[in-house]
Amino acid sequence: MIPIELRLSPMLSLRLCQTQKFKTEMLSLSAALPIAGQKPYMTSLLLSVLLRGTKSYPDISAINRRLDYLFGTELSVRNFYRGDAQVIGLCANVLGADYLPDGTPEREKLLSEVVAIMREVFFSPTLDEHGLLRTNYVESEKQLHCDAIRAKKNHPQGYAMDRCRSLMFDSEPCGIPLYGTEEEVMAVTPEDLTAHWKALCKELSLHAFYVGASDAESIIGALAKGLQLENVQADPIQKGSPATIPLTNVAELVRRPERRVDEDLPVHQSALVMGLRMPAAVQDDGFFACAFYNELLGSSSPVSKLFINVREKRGLCYSCFSTYNAYKGALTICCSLESDRLEEAEGEIRAQLAALAAGDISDDEWQAAQKSMENAYRQLSDSPSATEVYYLGRALAGVPVSPEEGSARIAALTREEVIQVAKQVTIDTVFVLHPTAKGEEQNDEED
Amino acid sequence: MKKIEYTSALLREKYTYIEHASGLPIYVFPKAMTNTYALFATKYGSLDTTFAVGDGKPVTVPDGIAHFLEHKLFEAPDGTDTFTRFSALGADSNAYTDYNKTAYLFGCTENAEEALAELLTFVTQPHFTDESVARERGIIAEEIREDEDSPWERAYLNLLSALYHKNPVRKNIVGTVKTIQKITPKLLYKCYNAFYRLDNMALVVCGNITPEAVVAVADRILPASQEEKPTVRRVYPTEPQAVRRARIETKMQVAKPIFNIGIKDNVLPQKPQERLRRDLSITLLNEILFSQAGRFYADLFESGLISHSFSHGYSSTERFAFNCISGESENPEAVYDALIDYIDGVGKTGLSQEDFERCRRVMYADEIRAYDSTDEIANRLLSFVFDGSEIFDVPAVLQSITKEELEELLHTLYQNQYFAMSVVRPL
Repeated sequence: MIPIELRLSPMLSLRLCQTQKFKTEMLSLSAALPIAGQKPYMTSLLLSVLLRGTKSYPDISAINRRLDYLFGTELSVRNFYRGDAQVIGLCANVLGADYLPDGTPEREKLLSEVVAIMREVFFSPTLDEHGLLRTNYVESEKQLHCDAIRAKKNHPQGYAMDRCRSLMFDSEPCGIPLYGTEEEVMAVTPEDLTAHWKALCKELSLHAFYVGASDAESIIGALAKGLQLENVQADPIQKGSPATIPLTNVAELVRRPERRVDEDLPVHQSALVMGLRMPAAVQDDGFFACAFYNELLGSSSPVSKLFINVREKRGLCYSCFSTYNAYKGALTICCSLESDRLEEAEGEIRAQLAALAAGDISDDEWQAAQKSMENAYRQLSDSPSATEVYYLGRALAGVPVSPEEGSARIAALTREEVIQVAKQVTIDTVFVLHPTAKGEEQNDEED
Repeated sequence: MKKIEYTSALLREKYTYIEHASGLPIYVFPKAMTNTYALFATKYGSLDTTFAVGDGKPVTVPDGIAHFLEHKLFEAPDGTDTFTRFSALGADSNAYTDYNKTAYLFGCTENAEEALAELLTFVTQPHFTDESVARERGIIAEEIREDEDSPWERAYLNLLSALYHKNPVRKNIVGTVKTIQKITPKLLYKCYNAFYRLDNMALVVCGNITPEAVVAVADRILPASQEEKPTVRRVYPTEPQAVRRARIETKMQVAKPIFNIGIKDNVLPQKPQERLRRDLSITLLNEILFSQAGRFYADLFESGLISHSFSHGYSSTERFAFNCISGESENPEAVYDALIDYIDGVGKTGLSQEDFERCRRVMYADEIRAYDSTDEIANRLLSFVFDGSEIFDVPAVLQSITKEELEELLHTLYQNQYFAMSVVRPL
C-alpha cells in the first residue's frame, strides 16, 4: 500500500493510499513547524483554543454535535515533536460511503463536510468583536494547559521518561517543553495568541494523508471543496524530495560524559530511565542497524535482552523496555521497580548493553528480532494511522523507504553492522525517580 | 462436528462456529487483512475465587490467582520459553485476565497455523514449580505497585470497593502484594483443572485463515473426544442492592482531584439477549446524557468545572453492572450535585428526539468501525460468545431501542441509593 504522492498547491500536498480494506476512511491534515526560534507552547495552546469553536460552530458542543451528525466522525488533534519539528494537525476518521444508510443526505459529501470543519478549525475560529480569539476560551485553555503540565507527575513512569528526554536534549530544539512552563502559558494574552495564529496561517504548509476506498479524484475534490481551494493541481511529488524537517546530524554531535539526575516524588515505585546516544538517525545508512539493535535490546518483544534478563531471569520488575527515537538518533530505556532493586537493575541493564557490544547475540535472538521487525513492517498496512505515521514521517525526513524495502534492509543486516552500532552507543543521561510515599497498599485497609 | 455460519449483510462479514470433537467451541472470522489474530480463552476470571468441584465443598482461593495463573502458563514443562517459540514464528504473543475470562493470544503476518498449534499446546500444558512461582510473585508485585501509583486506577478501584459490599468485582484483578504471597503451585493446579477444560473455553481466530485450516490444527493438537470431568460450581456471595459507601476518598500524587461517580445497576438480566439490549440501551443513554456534544458536558466544561478528560462508560456482565462517570475537577462535589440536578431535570422534561437520533448514529458508526481490525473483532467476538449473545445482532438491537425505553431506564437506574463517588485528591 504505497501512497500516491501529489502536490495540489504550493501549500498543500496529498498522500493517498486507496484500499478496500477498511469500512472507514482516514484523512489527516498536518503541518511540521521547526522548533528552533519558536515558542512551541504557543502553538500547543493555540490548537486547544482553535478547537473550542469556529465561525460556524461557535462552541465545543456545536462542533461535536456536527461531527456526531456526520455519522460519528472522530476528529482528533495531533501535537507532538518529530525530531526537531513540532507536528500539529487534525485527523478525521469517517464512516465509509458504502456503510452509510441508503438515502443519507450526507452520503455524497461527508468527506468534504468534514474537511470544511477542519478548515474552519485552522482558519476560521470564533473571534470576538475586536477580531481576537475569545478571551474566555484563551483563559480557560491556559488554565487547562497548566493543569496538564502539573498532571505529568500523575504518571510517574511517563514523567520520568519525559524528564530524561528534556535533560538529554537540553541544548537542542526538542528539549524545549511542548507545553511550556506554567509561567510562560499564564503570560499569554488573547492578543499574543491571535497574532501567533495569524502568522501561522500565512505560512501553514499542510500535508494531507488519506487511507480509504475513495480514489484520488474524489479526495482532491473533497479537499478543494472543503478547503475552498481554486486552481488545484495534482503534480506528482518526485521521489527523493528533500527533508522538510530539521534532522539531527548524529555524526557531528559532541558526546558528553554520562550524567545522573535524581529526583523524589511521593509515589510507591522507583523509575529508572537511561537516555542513550545512537550512531545513526532515520536518514543515515546506519538507521536499520540501530533499529535492529533496539529490537534486540528491549523493544516491545518479550524475547528482548531486557525482558528476558531484567524481568524474567532476575524478576526485578514488571516492565523494562527501550524505545528508539529514530528522528533524533537517541534511545531510551525505562524500568519501574522497588527502590532497593535499583542498583541491581541498573547493573543488569548495563550488562546487557555490554553483552551486545561484545557480540553476545544468539541465533535465536537474532532470528526473533528479525521476524518481529518483518512482522511489524507487514502489519503497517492493517492500520490507517500506522500507515500514515510511517509514510508521513519518512516523507518529512526525506527518506523514501517503503516498508518492503525496510524489511529487506533488516533481512540483509550482518552481525558486524549491529555490533558496530552497539560499540558506538553511549549513555548520555541517567534519570532516577525515587519514591517517597509511605504505607501499605490502599485496598488492603478495606478488607 | 457441528458447524454454523453466521453472516451480516449490513456489515458484509461472516464467521463460522465449529463445535470441535474435543468439546472446544471454535469461531473463525476470515478477514482480508495481513494480520491474523487468535485468542484461546477460558471463562475464568478474577471473580471466580470460590468454587466447588464435583460433590466437594467450596474452596476459596487467594485474590489475583486467575491473573497469576495467566503469567505462569507461559512456562513450558521442558523449561523452554513460550515467548521464544512464538517469536521464532514471527508471532507476537500475550495474555490478559479480566473479571470473567482469561485469554491467551497472538498476532502474526505469517505462520498462522504453526502459531495456532503453539497456542493450543502451551495453554493445555500447565507446568508450575515452587521456584518459578516464587520468582513470579516479585514480578507481579511490581505490576501491582505500578497500578498503585496511577491515580486513575486508584479512583476506579476505590469506586468498585464503595459500590460493592461482597461481590469480588470490588477486588483488584491482579490481587494484592499480600494475597499473591499465598499462591502455590498446588492452588494453581486446582484452579487450572477446574476451569481450563475445553468445554469451558473458546478459540477465536480472525484474519487471513479459513475455518478448515483452524480445525485441522485443532484436530492435530487437541483430544479426539471430550474428556469426562466433574462439574464445577462457582459460588458468589449475595450482594445487597444499595452501595456499600456513598463516598470514598484518598490522597496521592495527583495534580487536580480525580473523581469517579458510579451508579450500581442491580438489574442483571439472565438472558443474554436481554443483557445485550440493556447494555446497548444504557450506553446509548450515556451518549445522550454525557457525551462531549451534550448539554451537561458543555455547561460544566464552559464553566471550568471539568476538563477534557471527562468520560463515561457502562460495564456489565452476568455478575455485576455499573455505570461510571469520571473526570478531573477542583470541586468534585459540585460535579456530583450538578449531575443529580441534571438527571432530575432530564427525568422531568424527557429526552429530545434529536439527541436520541444523533447518538444512535454515533453508536451505529462505532459498531461499523469495530470491524476494521482483526484484534478488535476477535476480542469483541470472544466477549459476545462467552456472554452468549450474537455479535451481528448489535445494529438491529440498536435500531429497535426506543426513546421511551431510555426514559424509563433513566428513572430506574439513577436512584440515590445506587450512587457512590470516589475521589483522589492531591497530597
